[in-house]
Amino acid sequence: MTQLINIVSHIKTSPESCYATSGRMLDSLFNIDNGYLEGLVRGFKNGILKETDYLNLVQCETLDDLKLHLQSTDYGHFLANEASPIQVSVIDDKLRDKLVAEFQHMRNHAVEPLATFLDYITYGYMIDNIVLLITGALHQRPISELMPKCHPLGTFEQIEAINVASTSSELYNAVLVDTPLADFFGECVSEQDLDELNIEIIRNTLYKAYLESFYSYCKSLGGITAEVMCEILAFEADRRAFIITLNSFGTELTNEDRKKLYPQCGKLYPDGLAALARADDAENVKQVAEFYTEYRALFEGAGSNPGEKTLEDKFFEHEVKLNVNSFLHQFHFGVFYAYLKLKEQECRNIVWIAECIAQKHRAKIDNYIHIL
Amino acid sequence: MGSLFRSEEMALCQLFLQSESAYTCVSELGELGLVQFRDLNPDVNAFQRKFVNEVRRCDEMERKLRYLEREIRKDGIPVLDTGENPEAPMPREMIDLEVKFEKLENELKEVNSNAEALKRNYLELTELKHILKKTQVFFDEREGSLESGGQTSLTQNLLPEDSKGPIQLGFVAGVILRERIPAFERMLWRACRGNVFLRQAEMDDPLEDPATGEQVYKSVFIIFFQGDQLKMRVKKICEGFRATMYPCPEAPADRREMAMGVKTRLDDLNTVLSQTQDHRHRVLVSAARNIRAWMMKVWKIKSIYHTLNMFNLDVIQNGLIAECWIPVANWEDVQLALRRGTEKSGSLPAILNRLSTLEAPPTFHRTNKFTKAFQNLIDSYGVATYREINPAPFTIITFPFLFAIMFGDVGHGIIMALFGGWMVWREKPLSAKKTDNEIWNIFFGGRYIILLMGLFSMYTGLIYNDVFSKSINLFGSSWHGAYNDSTIQQNKELTLDPADVKQYDQYPYPFGLDPMWQLSNNKINFYNSYKMKISIIFGIVHMLFGVILSVWNHKFFNKAMNIYCEFIPQIIFLTCLFVYLVLLVFHKWVWYGAGGDVSTSPSCAPSILITFINM
Repeated sequence: MTQLINIVSHIKTSPESCYATSGRMLDSLFNIDNGYLEGLVRGFKNGILKETDYLNLVQCETLDDLKLHLQSTDYGHFLANEASPIQVSVIDDKLRDKLVAEFQHMRNHAVEPLATFLDYITYGYMIDNIVLLITGALHQRPISELMPKCHPLGTFEQIEAINVASTSSELYNAVLVDTPLADFFGECVSEQDLDELNIEIIRNTLYKAYLESFYSYCKSLGGITAEVMCEILAFEADRRAFIITLNSFGTELTNEDRKKLYPQCGKLYPDGLAALARADDAENVKQVAEFYTEYRALFEGAGSNPGEKTLEDKFFEHEVKLNVNSFLHQFHFGVFYAYLKLKEQECRNIVWIAECIAQKHRAKIDNYIHIL
Repeated sequence: MGSLFRSEEMALCQLFLQSESAYTCVSELGELGLVQFRDLNPDVNAFQRKFVNEVRRCDEMERKLRYLEREIRKDGIPVLDTGENPEAPMPREMIDLEVKFEKLENELKEVNSNAEALKRNYLELTELKHILKKTQVFFDEREGSLESGGQTSLTQNLLPEDSKGPIQLGFVAGVILRERIPAFERMLWRACRGNVFLRQAEMDDPLEDPATGEQVYKSVFIIFFQGDQLKMRVKKICEGFRATMYPCPEAPADRREMAMGVKTRLDDLNTVLSQTQDHRHRVLVSAARNIRAWMMKVWKIKSIYHTLNMFNLDVIQNGLIAECWIPVANWEDVQLALRRGTEKSGSLPAILNRLSTLEAPPTFHRTNKFTKAFQNLIDSYGVATYREINPAPFTIITFPFLFAIMFGDVGHGIIMALFGGWMVWREKPLSAKKTDNEIWNIFFGGRYIILLMGLFSMYTGLIYNDVFSKSINLFGSSWHGAYNDSTIQQNKELTLDPADVKQYDQYPYPFGLDPMWQLSNNKINFYNSYKMKISIIFGIVHMLFGVILSVWNHKFFNKAMNIYCEFIPQIIFLTCLFVYLVLLVFHKWVWYGAGGDVSTSPSCAPSILITFINM
């Protein structure tokens, strides 16, 4: 009898308490708050350009043909009001505007915990914007020239006052302390003046803290969201570790400093990261990757000879594959993250093709990343 | 039978057009509106077709016209829509149109940028005026401290107690959006470590933002600080928050002089600004007069070129080949249109050949404004196959009537009929309005249906004796209450017996249901039973009618087998089940009733349901 009472008392009915007890929401309750948005994002995902669309796009002779073909896709008449000789930068801006509008709509309709999840996604853009503005300020560019280059998803109220900071502690105390990025700043506060090298280190440290925080948040959400997102974020962390290592050869960055920049939420932690910290050239890095099956496959076919794909391209392809696979599960937040990343990749593809057309250099026009 | 009974007979034709006359011929055929072209280049990409450049030019013109329309609507100028139908202009006139639109667009862009620059200037001067007014207050308090040293004042409190006399504080004055003030204050405090002093005052009137044109609320602020470093920092923060700073002189005399200068400049600017606005207004008004006609012309050009894209190029004879479906009855009209087209362009006549094909031709119903709504209703269930009997002419009566059987109220029917009648009466002005409101367009498109539904509802309302859910007694009820007073006062409910002559005149109410039913307790029982049976009868008659119509189809398509294998079994099935049910209903109504034998009294009347399903 007492056992029965115990069982009954464990049964909770409200969605919030369903989170609290086991960290995992019943699938049937997902649609109460998030059903509309998941349906919307899946509808958007169906509008992502397919292989046939890309085949048509690479056959275009001029940018006007490209615009004509994009009219028949989900993009519709987004370029209809642009003056006739279109430039690639205009196409890029309009593609991004459409994506930002879709994301803002979803963010406006989201409630907790999806709202926090979507906010986490925007923190990455905030970091990029901050670094962009500081670098621009170092080169004496006026702030009004730099603002249009910022990513719209990563703006916050105090962003334009960034140029008042000349050291990183000032940056933190004056500007960032009220923003959500305050938590990620922990280790970077120092009295050194901001210069080129420091900026990159700050960017990578911020990003490491952000990734780890995002990872632990997804893990706390539990369920399929944790499964899907942790896989994607782990790959992102490992990819950053590899790229940082490869790019740091031949620069002033010491191995010790480099080790501090590796995000620890990936599969390479702890042994792989330790091995990477000791690596001295590309061969060593490849040897580290040998221990992990997916990464071995990625390093295998990569190279910088013409005809082979570069390592970055292979990383992009793997990321796209993980993102597309996330749509196979239902009732989780990973679809929102995956949709944003896939759409960005699509924008990069279209801009690549548009550049090849505009410069009449069609040799590598097929080097876009295939999504669907 | 009339042309609406069956779909029209269609012919597949091949059209040979000379290249010079192709444009004008397609224009004439477009005005006629009776030809459906087939796409002879289905596997050619959209941007590899022959006339894709002309279509692009039309897109450009459309873009410029849309821009003009947006500006016109922004100024609130009404667009004149005369409902005229301009003809598609010739290809050479297209260049004139392009030039005209380009000129208009450039002019408008120039005027807009001038106006924006002027407005920006105006905004700056207005803000400066407000600053001079508000900072007067700030400086008064400060000067108060210099004159009477003992009184406490703001700046005195700012400085440490043992300072050497009044230290000169630097200041900046500026204007910032009201929403940004809290973040601005916080940032100032943090960045300058609390060593600056901010005072702010709100501006009461909203100012117009030159870029977007909307009214925004701003506040005046003034920041006091000491030293050059803080000055740099404060300036950077102000820039970061998009606060505009203005030079504000310290001495009150200078300030007054500046205020007067600003006033005169503002007046001058006002005149220039109003003149610019007038000029822009004039340009837009003259454009608004023609913009509808221009849009129509551009659409027509675009559709002509889209159609021409579907044609095949015949290199041998330098012409275009087209395939199209035309109704056989309109053969002469199409020939005439082609002749007109070739005369206009002055070249060899076009040749129209009829082809024979095994393909199923498209279904074409010739409708007018009255029958169009009903035809749309039928098509929404599925378009009839070629030359099949069209249900639409029957639907004109049956649809509103079946609706009325369900609606059945005279009062509401009058309202509905009046609404439909008003829409029909004011057809022309209402259709010229061209609103975007979907709901209104749905109602207006179905105005004839609504009118008929209202009229029929009035009829069925009279039969159900239902006027705004009340009954009316036109002819005198057939039921009479024949009880004496004491019985009535002692019993809550009394039953009227139809067999009794005193209580029921043995003939029914002449038209419709007796108004006495309104007062009875078993009104719902009676009405429900009656309405259900009526509905079943009408429904089954309707279905039988449809099935019988199919005989005409079978005879027309010469499919005798269908009559034996489809029609006869359908009739047998329907009759044995549902016509049997209808017969049961009629029999029960006729045979069983009050007065007479017990075996035919209401208490012995069998249940139709039980009899039918035998359960």
